[in-house]
Amino acid sequence: MARILIKDLVKTFGAYAAVNGISLDISDGEFLILVGPSGCGKTTTLNMISGLETPTSGQIVIGNTVVNDLEPGERGLGMVFQDLALFPHMTVFENIAFGLRVKKIPDREVHERVTAAAAAVHIVPLLDKLPRHCSGGESQRVALARTIVTNPSVFLMDEPLSSLDAKLRVDMRTELKALHKRLSATFVYVTHDQAEAMTMADRIVVMSRGRIEQVGTPLQIYNRPASRFVAGFFGTPTMNFVEGTVELNGSGRHFRAPGLEQPLSDAVPAELAGRTVVLGVRSEHVLVGDGAALKGTVQLTEPLDDVTLVHFDYGQAVLLVAKAGPTTPLQPGSALSFRFATDYCHLFDADGTRLY
Amino acid sequence: MAVLATMSPEQARARKLRRERRNRSVRHAILLLWIGFIMFPIFWMVSTSFKDSGEWVAWPPHWLPHAPTLHNYAQIFAFAKIDTSLSRQAAEQAFSIWKALGDATLVCATAALLALLLGTFLAYSISRFNVGGRYFRHTILTIRMIPPIVVAISILIYYAVLIPFASTAVFGVRISLFDTYVGLILIYTVTTLPFVIWMMLTFIDEVPYTLEHAARLMGAGRITVIRRVVLPLVASGMVVTFLFVFILNWAEFLLALTLTHPEVTTLTVLLNKFQSASEGRLYGPQAAIGTMITIPVVILGMLIQKHLVKGFSFGTIRK
Repeated sequence: MARILIKDLVKTFGAYAAVNGISLDISDGEFLILVGPSGCGKTTTLNMISGLETPTSGQIVIGNTVVNDLEPGERGLGMVFQDLALFPHMTVFENIAFGLRVKKIPDREVHERVTAAAAAVHIVPLLDKLPRHCSGGESQRVALARTIVTNPSVFLMDEPLSSLDAKLRVDMRTELKALHKRLSATFVYVTHDQAEAMTMADRIVVMSRGRIEQVGTPLQIYNRPASRFVAGFFGTPTMNFVEGTVELNGSGRHFRAPGLEQPLSDAVPAELAGRTVVLGVRSEHVLVGDGAALKGTVQLTEPLDDVTLVHFDYGQAVLLVAKAGPTTPLQPGSALSFRFATDYCHLFDADGTRLY
Repeated sequence: MAVLATMSPEQARARKLRRERRNRSVRHAILLLWIGFIMFPIFWMVSTSFKDSGEWVAWPPHWLPHAPTLHNYAQIFAFAKIDTSLSRQAAEQAFSIWKALGDATLVCATAALLALLLGTFLAYSISRFNVGGRYFRHTILTIRMIPPIVVAISILIYYAVLIPFASTAVFGVRISLFDTYVGLILIYTVTTLPFVIWMMLTFIDEVPYTLEHAARLMGAGRITVIRRVVLPLVASGMVVTFLFVFILNWAEFLLALTLTHPEVTTLTVLLNKFQSASEGRLYGPQAAIGTMITIPVVILGMLIQKHLVKGFSFGTIRK
């Protein structure tokens, strides 16, 4: 029905390649999230799917139709924009009705469908208002209703929650997820917020500099990042990285860096021995407590609600972060001992590719 | 330093207030002088429009009419033959304002409307598709750097000689744009088009792209997008632009003088014709017409002044 196939998609602006040959297979009814830093090509990709940008090369297939040469309005898509793009001179009703009016649908049906769409996102009392009289959350719902009303099989969303405050954003996440379930349409969603991606997506596409870094479920992305970039992009606080070498000796595999030695899992390939690598470990896998071999000094603590982030050094210029319990006695200046959870150490080579 | 040290905070504040008050007075005095300088000719025109012929060039000057009269207005608004008591032997030169008023309104409004239509669409294409290249929007106004007198004669030659000659040679029909409504409307449209583009650009640039994208995704074609989304959002800008261009045309003199006679007469040209063989320039009726020409300009100017600032600031004070 609304499977989207993207083949070798390229978009260049002059000499600059915004999207540099990406291929994707988005299945019908999937909630796919494109995520990456500003300028990684995610919005350009979305705009090419919508038809607002013309690909330099490559092919986009929606359903069974190659849509490259179709006008945006002929692709059967609905889109929610970052700035919502509500028409300021039309009432909420007319905003929602716009797509139907363009298609010359009879008045009575327009009225029924607009009311139904408004009811679906709980904004019926707003129908006579102008967008400038709606709050941020209400405008968000108007934009959603305007998209729902035409029954598109594919929803495109370009950072739709970025203008909302933190609490509302979390609420809207849940609602979007519920909406996706109810409509069982294909959602392609763009964000630079990793929390949005982790909580809503069926699959995440991580993009960087016009290329796809990794495609996978949120857990795959978090637990087995395909590159140092992905590893660093997901997770708060950012993953710890330490440069060093892999060594092989009688007791197994070890990672050695100035001031730090850490046993590695036996699953680490033996041929990595002697190589310079970057070891990555998430803060929750830095185990702080008595009996650990490595020593450090606390520099800074950040109490969050359920954890305390402990920033510490181990005699080198590198700062590491560990997650400790909310009642940890550690204070800046106090000594601590630590080790890394052996099974959760990631190894990357110098250019960022995952080695283990 | 020593003075400051011995002053209490209250004294310091009072001193500062005094200084501010003095600066303000000086500033206002300068502005008042400037206003007097600017407004004096207008005051003189209005005053003269109520004077009888004996007072026009009296010496020492009569600042205000000693015997105020409406004769001048009666003369310019006369529909029929001028009564001899009013005419002071200038009856045959006592032109009525009505024909010129009609001509000016027709020419100025049509030209402003044409320029608005063309200019709005041109501005849209420049804003959205970068028509003419990156710097086109900044070079549009350079056309206004050429003084009209430079082009007036060449256009006269085109209108009165070249076009009639060419049309006779090619079509066998003599088409002349000299002294025609079409000719004047055309030249006004062309000369004001840069202003329309320049002003409409600032309004159209403020309409976010995404509104158009949203409309297109909902199935609207380009024309529908412009008609239902863009134009309603720049409508007030179009009104301002129209009024501004209308005023420009309304006050234009040189091109109208050069390219028309005797059929088409705008108000500014008519103004120049008020002379009588016996009395020379008829300052009274001229002043009356001048006053009548000025009134709509002042009213329109006040109506659009807020928007003009916005238009002229070239978008630099955008929100």
